[in-house]
Amino acid sequence: MDRIYEIAKELTAIPGVSGDESRSFPYLEKTLAGKFDDFGFTPVGSYFGIRKSKKKNAKTVLFDAHLDTIGFIVTKICDGGFLKVMMVGRTAEKNLSASEVWIYGKRTIPGVFASKPPHLQEPGESEKKLSIDDLSIDTGLSKEELEEIVRVGTFVGFKADCEKLSDNVIVSPSFDDRICAACILRALELVEGEDIGVNAAFQFSAGEETGYKGAMTTAYRIAPDYAIVLDVCNAYVPGAREARKAVQIGKGCSLSYSAQTNRELTEFTRTLAEKNGIALQFLAEPGATGTNSNVIQTGHGGVPTVLLSIPLKNMHTANEVADLRDCEETAKLLAEFLRSIGSYQGVEE
Amino acid sequence: MEFFERLKDYCSILAPSGMEKPMRKRIIEDIKDSGAEWRVDPNGNLIVFKKGRARRDKKLVVAAHMDEVGFMASYIDEEGYVRIENVGGIDRRVVSGRRIMFCGSNLVGVVASKAIHIQTKEEIGKCEPINEMRVDIGCYDRESAEKRVRIGDCATFCPNYEEFGNGLIKSKAIDDRFGCAVMVELINSDLEYDTYFAFDTCEEIGCDGAKEVCYQLNPDIAVILESTTAGDICGTPAEKAACTVHGGAVISHMDNSTVYDKELVKLAMELGKEKGIPCQLKNTVAGGNEARAYQREACGARVLAISAPTRYIHSACSVAAKEDLTAVAAMTKTIIERKF
Repeated sequence: MDRIYEIAKELTAIPGVSGDESRSFPYLEKTLAGKFDDFGFTPVGSYFGIRKSKKKNAKTVLFDAHLDTIGFIVTKICDGGFLKVMMVGRTAEKNLSASEVWIYGKRTIPGVFASKPPHLQEPGESEKKLSIDDLSIDTGLSKEELEEIVRVGTFVGFKADCEKLSDNVIVSPSFDDRICAACILRALELVEGEDIGVNAAFQFSAGEETGYKGAMTTAYRIAPDYAIVLDVCNAYVPGAREARKAVQIGKGCSLSYSAQTNRELTEFTRTLAEKNGIALQFLAEPGATGTNSNVIQTGHGGVPTVLLSIPLKNMHTANEVADLRDCEETAKLLAEFLRSIGSYQGVEE
Repeated sequence: MEFFERLKDYCSILAPSGMEKPMRKRIIEDIKDSGAEWRVDPNGNLIVFKKGRARRDKKLVVAAHMDEVGFMASYIDEEGYVRIENVGGIDRRVVSGRRIMFCGSNLVGVVASKAIHIQTKEEIGKCEPINEMRVDIGCYDRESAEKRVRIGDCATFCPNYEEFGNGLIKSKAIDDRFGCAVMVELINSDLEYDTYFAFDTCEEIGCDGAKEVCYQLNPDIAVILESTTAGDICGTPAEKAACTVHGGAVISHMDNSTVYDKELVKLAMELGKEKGIPCQLKNTVAGGNEARAYQREACGARVLAISAPTRYIHSACSVAAKEDLTAVAAMTKTIIERKF
């Protein structure tokens, strides 16, 4: 688990608001060099790697996690050095007052979401709805200084560390979906040097939060035979609907049943987990899953796809909370999947 | 030690009202070689007397408070979350979604926030009251949570001091650690006249420490060093800003609890002009500080507040300008160099 935490800490330290994913390429180039036969970035900003099997006509298994995170984009530079922003993806606006951000301009500078002082608030104002339009970001610079660094379109992201709350429970602003990328890298480490008989590929897709562009195009290039999409899912939190108790943090990774994933391959994955004593939870998502699984499953003439999710609390906030044990189990399951997919029978006629 | 290095240390100490001990210990450590006399009163106020080159006819005290706003654990629920009450006045909106740190253990907790995807239409955009928020400390049940946090344990926003922008700093607890840092510098310098310094407790819950100290010292003049709300943010009309960051030391003529001594206010503004110390008058009646206690307790003192204009006070991330803090220090020094 230490290893996954280490990878997660490194990955979450690199910014990557949807549309600005390339910032992690140098890290990936450096860490993955020599471990893959083919790797690199794609024109839309995804990153991929393929480790080829010596076996002739080996099948290709693709693991997908998205590289982008939610965040903000500058819409106006105001007097006094304040910025107006819009959301990229959607966060809970109520959490933003007096929270810290990084502004990824010509150079990266810190900022603080302003909060209205009490003497300027109407009575009862703090009980009312807060929207991003009510807020601005304080940069501590003059408008002129700011215009040298930032322009309309500059990305802004949460400023908060990845740290532990307890032995197993960890928090970061970008576990969606960097924690899944960490699981994939860990799984590929687990099978390193093994003759698994399949080509093992991964893609860290650009633009999931804004419409799946990276997943579609990168999977097209890799042309996998099977795919597992890894994303995060909303874990049960107090106050949520009773049925949400189906998936909780600390109880294993979640396997989705959906019409947008492949039922046979999903059952194969479930059986594999059971056989290996790997904890799993189950999520019913009949229609759209809101993940890359939609586009990977239907791309390239159809790719049987499974959706696994790391349960997460406070998704799309600066404090996404996950359990390291779920991540470790997920990496194990992915490794087992690579070792066992050769025995998969496919859809019955 | 350089002033802003000291300020960083002070801001990073966890010391909400009633839990000032670590702050007090650090201050005592920092003034022990100054030649000043000091004592700690039964409720934890730290009272310092520094002899000057000459006696002053009037008794003058400079005061700042050691405590900061924070939280107290009020209940550990079955699912392992800590429920909290605020210590001091905090807008619920600056608490939602923050990380807090527990005093003593330095454990980090996350103020939980339901993901936007699972909020009901009514919940979106709205913050629950602080005493309905849940703090996640990474536990799954009451038993394990109770091993880490007990009812009555206190927490503050996480330490985060950093310089940013154009000569600004941002941190939790600038209110009133900068006041403490200014006083420590003065205590360690040579003073013209005998001066008392009071490091008070429990300002944030009603100036309790100041009341106690005022009774003990019965001063003629009290100079309060504080942070005051700067409302100069995007969209605020200038006349409602109260004061502005980069505008210099703030002199209040009136706030929500005190009408200040007119002569002292006039004197401060004149001295500012004469000595070239940037200063500004607060242009709104808002906020309040320990002046109210020093004016009303014992025989009552003539009061003056010299404040640092600070944005987002009582939040995880207050913002102040270094030059304003320097101006407050210079103004304080200038005032106490007078005989009265």
